[in-house]
Amino acid sequence: METSAQSSDHKLMLAVRDGDLNCMGELFERHHGPLFGYLTKLTGDRTAAEDITQIVFQRMLKYRHTYRDVGSFTAWMYHLARRCASDHFRRSSPGPVAVDPSELEGHADESRRADESAASNDDHALLRLALGRLDRDDREVLLLSRLQELSFAEVAGILECSVGAARVRAHRALRSLRDHYIRLQKEPLT
Amino acid sequence: MNCQSCIDRMVELADAKLDEETASQVRAHIDGCAGCRREYESIRRTLEALDALPAAAPSHRLRARVMGDIETEKLTQLGHAGWASSIRAAADSRRDRRFAWGPLLLQALGACALVAMGFAVGERTATQRQLAELRVKVDTMGQLVEQSVLQKGATGDRLETILAAGKARKPDERVIDGLINSMAFDTSVNVRLNALNALYMHADQDVVRAGVLACLPRESSPLVQVAMIDFLVASRDREAAPELRKLLADDKTDTDVRESARRAIEQL
Repeated sequence: METSAQSSDHKLMLAVRDGDLNCMGELFERHHGPLFGYLTKLTGDRTAAEDITQIVFQRMLKYRHTYRDVGSFTAWMYHLARRCASDHFRRSSPGPVAVDPSELEGHADESRRADESAASNDDHALLRLALGRLDRDDREVLLLSRLQELSFAEVAGILECSVGAARVRAHRALRSLRDHYIRLQKEPLT
Repeated sequence: MNCQSCIDRMVELADAKLDEETASQVRAHIDGCAGCRREYESIRRTLEALDALPAAAPSHRLRARVMGDIETEKLTQLGHAGWASSIRAAADSRRDRRFAWGPLLLQALGACALVAMGFAVGERTATQRQLAELRVKVDTMGQLVEQSVLQKGATGDRLETILAAGKARKPDERVIDGLINSMAFDTSVNVRLNALNALYMHADQDVVRAGVLACLPRESSPLVQVAMIDFLVASRDREAAPELRKLLADDKTDTDVRESARRAIEQL
C-alpha cells in the first residue's frame, strides 16, 4: 500500500523530471540519511558511503528523464544505489587500503584483530564485524530488507529476482549473520 | 503449513508485514513446533540487534556537495536555455557597440558565483525575486564569457589558473595560499570571486576560513562581500559573528551586504 510520504516523494520526483530541480533538494533532505546509513553498512566505509550517496543523487539528476509515472521513488533510488555500489566494489583495489583509525569500529570488512577485540564486549561492534563477514550479496539483500520504506516486492525488483527468492535470500543472510555473530561472541580474546 | 514455509515467513512475521490470515498460520505452526519456535526467537533477536545498530550520520560536506551538484545542474539547464537568447542578443547588439560589456560581465559572473556558492553550501538565503534577477543575468553569461573574458589576456589567464586550481581535489599549501592571495589582492572582481568559489572545497581548513574572514572587511566589492558571507555561513564559522556585527553596525556598508550579514548572524 502506498503511503502519503511515498506519494509525496513520487510527486517531487515527477516535478524534478519536469524541470523543477529545487524539488531534488527536498528529496535529498528526506532520504540521504537512510541511504547513507544503508551504504555505510554495505561498504563498511563512511567515506565511500558518502561518495556513493553523492553519486546516487547525481545520477538521479542525470537520469531524471527516465523516471516513470508509476512506481516508487525509494525503490528507484535504491536501484540506482545498488548500481553505484557495484561500481564502487568493482573499482575498489584488492590491495591494502589506508583507513582512518577513527573509522575502524565501523569498518565491516576487517577481520577480527587485537584492536577490534578490545571492543568485543560491544554488541554493536561485534554485529558490525559479523555483517562485514557476510558475502556482499547476502549483506545487500539483508540490508535492503531492513529498510522500512521498501516492501519485499520492491526489494525483489531491485535485486531482479522473484519475491519468493528475495524472501529466501534475506532469511538465509539473516541466519548467516546470526551464526557469524554467535561465533564472534564465543571467540576468545586475543 | 510445513517448517520451510514457516521459516520463509519468519522475518515478515517479526516485522508485522504479513496479512492476518498468513500471520495466524505461521504463529500456529510456531506454537506447535519447538524447532521453529527456537528458530523464530533467534531470528527475532538477531533482527532486533541489527535494527538497533546506530545509524551513521554523514558529514555536513555531503549536503554541500549535493546541493552544489543541484545548482550546477540548474546552471547547466539555464545555460542551455540562455545560450540561444544570448546569441540572438549578440546579433542585435552588433549594431550598437556602445553596449557595456564590462559591468554586465561582472554582474553575470558574480551572479553565477552567488547562485552556485549560495546553494552549494545548502543555505537557501536568496529570495525568489533575487533568484529571478540572478537568473536573467546568468542567461547572458555564456556569451559574455566567450566575447570578453577569454579574449582578455591577463585576467583570462588568471581566471584559468584559478579554475584549474579549483579542480585539484587535494591541493598543496602553495595552491591554497595562492587562492587566498588571489581572493585578497587580485584587481579583478571575477578572479576574486572565482578564487573564493575554488576555496569552498577547502572550507574545512582553518586557514581558508580565517583568510576569508580577514578579507571580508577590506573587500571593495559588495558582490564579493556577499559571497564571502555566504561562504562563512556555509562553513559554520562562528568566529565570523563579531566581524559580521561590525559590518552590520557600519553605516558605510552596502545595503545588500548588511542584509546578508544580518541573515548570517541569525544562522550562525
